[in-house]
Amino acid sequence: MQHLLSYLIFTPLLAAVIALLIPSSQKNFFRVFALGASVIQLVVVVLIMQAYKHHAGIQLTERFSWINMELGQWGSMQAEYFVALDGLSLPMVVLSVCIMAIAVISSWTINKSQKGYFILLLILNSAIIGSFCALDFLLFYVFFEFMLLPMYFLIGIWGGPRREYASIKFFLYTLFGSILILIVIIGLYLSVQDPTSAPQLVHTFNVLHMQNPENIIPGSVLSVDSTNVLGPYSFRLWAFLLLFIGFAIKLPAVPLHTWLPDAHVEAPTPVSVILAALLLKFGGYGLLRFAYPIFPDSAIYFSWLVGFTGLVSIIYGALNALSSKDLKRLIAYSSVSHMGFVLLGIAAATVEGIAGAMYQMFSHGILSAMLFLIAGVLYDRTGDRLITSYSGLATKMKVYTGFVLVAFFASLGLPGFAGFIGEVLIFFGAFLSQQTNGLIPGWMAITAMLGLLLGAGYFLWTLQRMFFGPYAVKVPAAEMNDLDQREYVMLLPLALAALFFGILPQTLLNYINPFAQEFVESLFLAASFINP
Amino acid sequence: MNEQLQHIAESVSLLIPEVIISASLLITILLGLTLKTNKHSILKFISLASYSVSIFLLFQNFPDKPTILFGGMMRVDEFSSYFKILFLTGGILGVLISGPQKDDTSAEYFSLFYAVILGACLLAASLNFIMVLLSLELISLSSYLLAGFGFDKKSAEGSLKYFLFGTVATACMIYGISILYGFAGTLDFSSNLFVTNSIALTSPLLLTGGLLTLAGFLFKITAVPFHLWAPDVYESAPTPVVAFISVVPKLAGIAVLTRFTLAINLFGQSGYNWHIILAVISLISMLVGNLSAIAQTNPKRMLAYSSVAQSGFLLIGLVTFSIEGIHVMLFYSAIFLVMNYLVFIALNQFENAKDQFDIPSFAGLGASSIIPSIAILTGLLSLTGLPPTAGFTAKLFIFGSLWGSYQQSGELILLVLFVTGLLNTVISLFFYMKIPYYLFLKENPGTIKSQKIDFAGNLLSLMLVILLFYLFINPNGLMGWINKITFVL
Repeated sequence: MQHLLSYLIFTPLLAAVIALLIPSSQKNFFRVFALGASVIQLVVVVLIMQAYKHHAGIQLTERFSWINMELGQWGSMQAEYFVALDGLSLPMVVLSVCIMAIAVISSWTINKSQKGYFILLLILNSAIIGSFCALDFLLFYVFFEFMLLPMYFLIGIWGGPRREYASIKFFLYTLFGSILILIVIIGLYLSVQDPTSAPQLVHTFNVLHMQNPENIIPGSVLSVDSTNVLGPYSFRLWAFLLLFIGFAIKLPAVPLHTWLPDAHVEAPTPVSVILAALLLKFGGYGLLRFAYPIFPDSAIYFSWLVGFTGLVSIIYGALNALSSKDLKRLIAYSSVSHMGFVLLGIAAATVEGIAGAMYQMFSHGILSAMLFLIAGVLYDRTGDRLITSYSGLATKMKVYTGFVLVAFFASLGLPGFAGFIGEVLIFFGAFLSQQTNGLIPGWMAITAMLGLLLGAGYFLWTLQRMFFGPYAVKVPAAEMNDLDQREYVMLLPLALAALFFGILPQTLLNYINPFAQEFVESLFLAASFINP
Repeated sequence: MNEQLQHIAESVSLLIPEVIISASLLITILLGLTLKTNKHSILKFISLASYSVSIFLLFQNFPDKPTILFGGMMRVDEFSSYFKILFLTGGILGVLISGPQKDDTSAEYFSLFYAVILGACLLAASLNFIMVLLSLELISLSSYLLAGFGFDKKSAEGSLKYFLFGTVATACMIYGISILYGFAGTLDFSSNLFVTNSIALTSPLLLTGGLLTLAGFLFKITAVPFHLWAPDVYESAPTPVVAFISVVPKLAGIAVLTRFTLAINLFGQSGYNWHIILAVISLISMLVGNLSAIAQTNPKRMLAYSSVAQSGFLLIGLVTFSIEGIHVMLFYSAIFLVMNYLVFIALNQFENAKDQFDIPSFAGLGASSIIPSIAILTGLLSLTGLPPTAGFTAKLFIFGSLWGSYQQSGELILLVLFVTGLLNTVISLFFYMKIPYYLFLKENPGTIKSQKIDFAGNLLSLMLVILLFYLFINPNGLMGWINKITFVL
């Protein structure tokens, strides 16, 4: 089977085009159609998993020339349609396909202009998977930007009362981040040459070429020996900083996180799920794929900053979650806190830290999806998300409470669930860092422990306030039925996955670990090549 | 004598498109006097036919080597032919969306279109200050009149403002030209004489002359600080006219500006750094245009300021003073033509269907008129420079060339321009998204009148939408063609 990845990326896009031609009066058709596209994707993913080998670097490669243009005295420019999978992207792609399928099921009750909704969802699907697969920086950027518009409309049209404010804030924030990334992309491609086409000067967007410091053209602004400085830093350091800020906005890291609570609170449930489970992952993914390997020297230079940002996010996010009155806002801030762990793990740059960060991204994908679905269940019944409006739900909604227990305990890092593995690996990595590579100090790891404590605090407190005690619901007419079949179908696989990856972490680590090992090895190798 | 006649005859033979347009102009005026019925459609057809034939002929005889015409007045080369094709395409699109004119003025209306395009075609090929002045005035005078074609008080006011600003800019330019002529002793700014005489000079008057001359061109491309006429004119003139004068005269201005700045830069030997002057103009055009656009509530005023900002982006290609920069500027010009027209075509459809015309009145129209809404969304995204539209490709190329130029020269102003230019995209997103925001996100407070569906307009805008997508996916064709254009001063 060739072109498996292209099938995966373009199936939803094709479905969107077909759906465009079908009259909008066929109301119920669109959701079935979108689900069909997801089912095809699931089948393709199974085929991909079979074809993928654990220890073989990038695989399932597809490469075609896309833009090829002469630049006269500057050589020529070359962008490719270059997609492939490795240990970093495979788990993310699998997660994306599953979450998108669940998001379609979760969208079953959408009534307002279904045609537009599902078309946007399909486009978003393509863009997300395309971004995870792309190994050409320009191609990545195109897919990455392509996510913004569907997301803007999904929040802006189908969202809550303050949806317009939230959607434009989301759009501006993320576009600002993307522009910072674009600045680096443009600077990079003029500084990197394709070694296979020597002696001809061909500038390339190929990420693998960019990662090899030998391909950087001597004398270019981003070259290793460049003496150009701007203010306190050299251009390489600036470039890393720009990438870091760009991806930190997406992650989101404090203090660039303020778009997230607004976007989450206003977005409809399925969109919140996608936002938390998938879009946030681009922050960590971008750092691991682009910022760190391309600028290893700058990454090591700034590792204290990266770690500290992570630490602040962990603590600040958790404190905010503790004081949130809105359930969705609480989950949003818990995401900020959990993504802080990812930053901490990346900053440590030890095999454990990197593997932990990747594991945390995966498990947070499962758990945050679950948490937002849980919030959605309540919102569907009452239209009220205030924590104080509920009490004693456990007496009426038994199955629901069971799922809530799983999601909450898994999120606060109880051993046996997926969240625990990621966090524990990150702590190993962070503690080891001081002894091995000395990138982040030990106190960061110790202070980050506080995040776990706070996490347990806000989750347990919420559990106590909403689910235990005497039954009371502020919205009088609401019928608090237990989960229906559709909700069950959405939550059950996620709960099982949270358990599965907590008990058998090796299944996932088999994919992650080779990548993490190679990542750390080549990071320090390249850094020592640059700064001997 | 005989030789000269021969030369003139040869020169004319290379200007067949211009001859066709002039002939059609005369025919249109005559027919306007004699025709009684179906005047508008017949004249429209003649316009379209003559523009199409001209484009066809330009493609057919695309010059492979530059030829000097009329003893150094003009030069027909790939650069000018490329721009001519753009002007004529702009003409076709402008004519296509023009509806019947009030008071039986269709003949005047179409003949003014011809005149603008004729002037633009001549301007793109001009090498001589006299020729520049003549063709620039041909464009200007015709556009002043076109701006007044709303035939109401507002339109007259806009037209008059345009005229007043325009004449002052022209006066500045003539003054500047006279200074340059005094120094260089020649009106032909591509000649060696001009260059050698100017290099020898160190007088600051050379700078003054150059700047004053620039004023005339900057007025045409609505760059800051010569942009003040734009919002009023855009707001008051009929939308098809605005679409037309926001593209064709601007691109003509860019064409002549390119030739002129390369001449005044004296192959890099000028004592003054025109790099920096153009970079500053480009920078403040982007900033002023984008920041002013934020506060606008009238879509056409907003697009006027956006057009100011777009001039800034176009100028970036020129700032690099490199052949690559000029190539990507040519690419940007073509994309700008398509995306700007796309926005105005859709806006025209909305305007025809409504009496009130500010951005909030678009609320909720996205559902009822879906194709114009998608068209305007695509156009605006492209103007912002977001993928997957060709506007992104154009911005990528233009900023790529700027970075390349920075890498070579290391001038800080270029880096500032690079970063500010890209960050301007975020600012521009804010106001560009206002229209889609009202179209799709806001709900209409009242009942929406069912609009008559404009099939021709929808088809046209869909074609342009597809073109923008296509040029994003495959820019190689157009860019490859542009790359073959050899630019000689």
